[in-house]
Amino acid sequence: MILFNYVASFFLIVLGFYTIVTKYNLVKTVIGLSIADYGVNLLIISIGFNPGGTAPIFTPGEIDPSAFFVDPIPQALTLTSIVIGACVTAMSLALVMKIHEQYGTIDTREVRRLRG
Amino acid sequence: MSTALYQHFPILAVMVLFLGAFLIVIFGNVKTLRHLIALLSVTVSLGLLIALVKPVMLEGEIIAYWMGARATAGGYAIGIAMEVDALSLFFGLLVATAVFVSCVYSIQYMSHDDNVGQYYTLFLMLAGGVMGLVLSGDLFNMFIMVEILTFAAVALTAFRNTAKGALEAAFKYLVVGCIGSTCILTGTVMLYAQAHTLNFAQLSALLPGNMNTATVVAFALLYIGFSTKAFIVPFHPLAADAHGAAPASISVLISGVLTKSGLYAIIRLSYFLFQTMELGTMQFLLVFMGSMSMFICVTMALAQHDFKRLLAFHSISQIGYVLTAVGLCTAMGVSSGLYHAMNHTLFKGLLFLAAGAVLHQTGTTDLDKLGGLSKKMPWTTAFFLVGAFSISGIPPFNGFASKWMVYQSIYLKAVESGNIGFLFATIIALVTSVLTLASFVKVSQSVFFGRLPKEYENVTEVPWGMRLAMCLFAVLCVVTGLFPDLVTRYLTQPAADAVFNASGYINAMMGSGYAESVMSVPAMAPAVTYVEVGVWQPVSWLLILVITLLAITIVAIGGQYDRVSESVSAPMDSKYDLFFGGEESVYSQVGGEDLFWGFKHNWRGYFSFMHKLHSGIVNDYSLWAVVALALVTLYMLIVF
Amino acid sequence: MSIVISALQYLGYILIFPGFLFCFLVGLLLSGIDRKLVAKMQKRVGPPVLQPFYDFFKLCGKETIVPAAASKTVFLMAPLVGLAALVVLQLFIPIFQFTAFSGMADIIVILYLLLIPALAQILGGAASGSPYAGVGLSREMVTIISCELPLVLVLLAVAKTVGSATGEGLSFSFASIAAYQAANGSLILRLSMIPAAIAMLMVIPGETGNHPFDAAEAETEICEGMLAEYSGAPLGIFKLSHAIKMLTLTSLFVALFLGGIGSGIAQLVALMGLTGPAANGLTVLLGAIVTVLLCIVLTVVSISFVHAVTARLKIEQIFKFYWTVVSGLALISLVLAWYGL
Repeated sequence: MILFNYVASFFLIVLGFYTIVTKYNLVKTVIGLSIADYGVNLLIISIGFNPGGTAPIFTPGEIDPSAFFVDPIPQALTLTSIVIGACVTAMSLALVMKIHEQYGTIDTREVRRLRG
Repeated sequence: MSTALYQHFPILAVMVLFLGAFLIVIFGNVKTLRHLIALLSVTVSLGLLIALVKPVMLEGEIIAYWMGARATAGGYAIGIAMEVDALSLFFGLLVATAVFVSCVYSIQYMSHDDNVGQYYTLFLMLAGGVMGLVLSGDLFNMFIMVEILTFAAVALTAFRNTAKGALEAAFKYLVVGCIGSTCILTGTVMLYAQAHTLNFAQLSALLPGNMNTATVVAFALLYIGFSTKAFIVPFHPLAADAHGAAPASISVLISGVLTKSGLYAIIRLSYFLFQTMELGTMQFLLVFMGSMSMFICVTMALAQHDFKRLLAFHSISQIGYVLTAVGLCTAMGVSSGLYHAMNHTLFKGLLFLAAGAVLHQTGTTDLDKLGGLSKKMPWTTAFFLVGAFSISGIPPFNGFASKWMVYQSIYLKAVESGNIGFLFATIIALVTSVLTLASFVKVSQSVFFGRLPKEYENVTEVPWGMRLAMCLFAVLCVVTGLFPDLVTRYLTQPAADAVFNASGYINAMMGSGYAESVMSVPAMAPAVTYVEVGVWQPVSWLLILVITLLAITIVAIGGQYDRVSESVSAPMDSKYDLFFGGEESVYSQVGGEDLFWGFKHNWRGYFSFMHKLHSGIVNDYSLWAVVALALVTLYMLIVF
Repeated sequence: MSIVISALQYLGYILIFPGFLFCFLVGLLLSGIDRKLVAKMQKRVGPPVLQPFYDFFKLCGKETIVPAAASKTVFLMAPLVGLAALVVLQLFIPIFQFTAFSGMADIIVILYLLLIPALAQILGGAASGSPYAGVGLSREMVTIISCELPLVLVLLAVAKTVGSATGEGLSFSFASIAAYQAANGSLILRLSMIPAAIAMLMVIPGETGNHPFDAAEAETEICEGMLAEYSGAPLGIFKLSHAIKMLTLTSLFVALFLGGIGSGIAQLVALMGLTGPAANGLTVLLGAIVTVLLCIVLTVVSISFVHAVTARLKIEQIFKFYWTVVSGLALISLVLAWYGL
């Protein structure tokens, strides 16, 4: 089960990179970035997962030493990562919009005034 | 353990920058207030770091700081930690200095732009991001800081979104930067899965000796991820695009500060986290990438015809020197590499500010259109020449002092290891230096000397604030060049010692004895000796030069050197008309792209190939990143 | 009191020997000999040997005109800085065992100091604003790039050879190069150093900008390039710098490859039964005379002969020649030295 998560996450990352490299549409490039990001998120959350573990919620004074938790740190990391991913998407879409205004196209093969 | 007051300084140095950013969001509409806040926060940040020089640099203390006074629990470092050793502080000082000067420059440089409030917010976010990165003691915090600084840098690149290619450059930077960030995050969590900690010190204790496939892949991912931040070779087009489009004050930060954060992370990774630098294969990787960066970028720079793009390529070329020197894993190598990193911040900053001054006054940075500005902007020309001499390694400026040490250390390494690869690195380094000089001759001929085009006849010198900023950098360039002994003794050697003191770094955070108890292979012994194989005494050399110059000047003036009369412009007298054949003298400026035709002609195959390669399509650059990732991963899997 | 004396001594080094006056006399002499010999080889009468001196003094008496398009400070200062750098350079190159200022610069530093006179000329030309100067400086820069690679290879080969022989691994310092040659005979006698010496001989005319590598100054084509707008004393100083550069490079060759001859002088002086300062003085004097003679021979071999029999090369041919033929020779030397031959 958990192995499937790992395979899926790396598949998503590679798929994202593949999209970025091969697609000539700027919006698709942004989609590629998001896919790779989801892949990483899946990877993080899978790392913290313990089969059968409960939610890592402590109440002061009631810590049960035998309690079996999932690792809380990756969850925190994932939250941060999701936020950052959303920012990336928002920012890049904003840039794509402005590029469309200026260049009149969102084909990467034509958005290349800077080269050489 | 009693905490001295200065132990809070690192976190304050970071927080004050972010605080400034948020305050400017609130009060940014008032012009004086936002300048005041920005200047105040960068000054306080610089001051706090300077206050740390005594305990950290001179007394060798390593500050381990836990947010909220948490400490290690159950042998695991959980919590947000900052760890400042001499290496961190060294980079921190570079960052603070560059940010301070850039901020001084911005005040007048950005005066014609809209939304300057947002500019300062992003500026301080960028500064805070880099500062946080170099002072952090935690891999995930490093990732967060990388994201903050990438974001700020992208937004600032696109800040003048009507400038040519600004949006495009920002988008390319964002895409490849995000590929890099994804790599960093993946590497980070893979390490977490293996070692269950994100703390640098603890990772440094747990990882070496316990390398498996997962950690090696994580290393490759992190290495490539931070390489995108340092813009070393397969990622150099991003730097060129970003620098070309960003405001000059931001170019200073991107080249002087952002690339340093990548370098810092690479040093941390390879010397501390994985401690692999003693392997010849790892040295090969760094020296190879460094030499490639040096050479490819300097040749690319020769072919440019935009002032700031040219500078951007040179920036990466100089980073190549640093990477090569650091990759040698000798005390002298690391020390000289750090010295060059410092000089890079100074002279590159100076050159970008000079380019910004030209842009500010003329509205263009196209080398084919400019010319003869030295008569109109004498101060800028003087500062530019200081920067150009520094970067080309002309004695006695600072670039020479550090490059000279780099050559020594590479060649010594070559001779000691008997590895002919290092010999070629030496030759590349030496030749790159003269090619650098060539392209700065091109810039000085095309921008500052030569003929003044008609449309720039009313150009004036830049305002005093911008001159002050350039002057600060220029003075630092000269001073660090004249006193290499002091710089190495008080700045780079403590930092280099810190690089070889991984066990000290671990113990400062985890409690003494931890490194010895956990690590199966002991950390690299700090047997640090600084071998020099040559001699160079800048001060006495300069003294002799000055005496000679004075003597010659006196002789020359005695020999009627001063019988100077200036010829007046254009038709002097009707009697000369005879010699002009009735034709008006035409504007004929030799400069710009084709200046070194004789050189480029012989290499036309190479140049046209490189030109095709740098296609400007974001897919190609992403492909390079992915290919580089694949190759480095493969290489590391094979050699470890 | 002793401070004053040593200060005067160093001032003497700077101004008289081996500094300014020595450079001035020997440099112009070399230039005169070169001109005379080339003329003889081309069956002309040629100018008198002292002609460069006459030229220099005459130019110094002329008015200096600064073009309207020029930036005055750089235009006027460039010749002086270039000349000063050359004189200082000469102070660091040892005359056999004698160095005016020892322990201050090694051969890598020399490599970079050699750039300063060229750079001064380039900046002066650029500051004049003339298009001819633009073309000239472009070619000058390409010539510098061309010479740099072989020069680097030669210096690395020397450093490696001396270093492995003395057990230091490598040595960039002039002192150990001179000491090694005094003990073991000239470097040129080693098989591995012969290609490097030939390469260095070929570098000399390129660095000084002599025929056939004078595309940067091509009088017939671009009116002396960077010097096109110069007149009067600054022009005279550039001409003087050019002459001194011949001395600098030939004496660099002597220091690198022919240093062994110097040990003979010391022995000779010892045979004469002299001791103390007199012996030192005599050694230096004889050393200087031998150096000057060797420099004249080298100038004749590497500059005059080549000048007389070749036609000017185009700039891209210069580049190709240096990066293939000359660098190839130097590389052979470096590889041989690398494997300890």
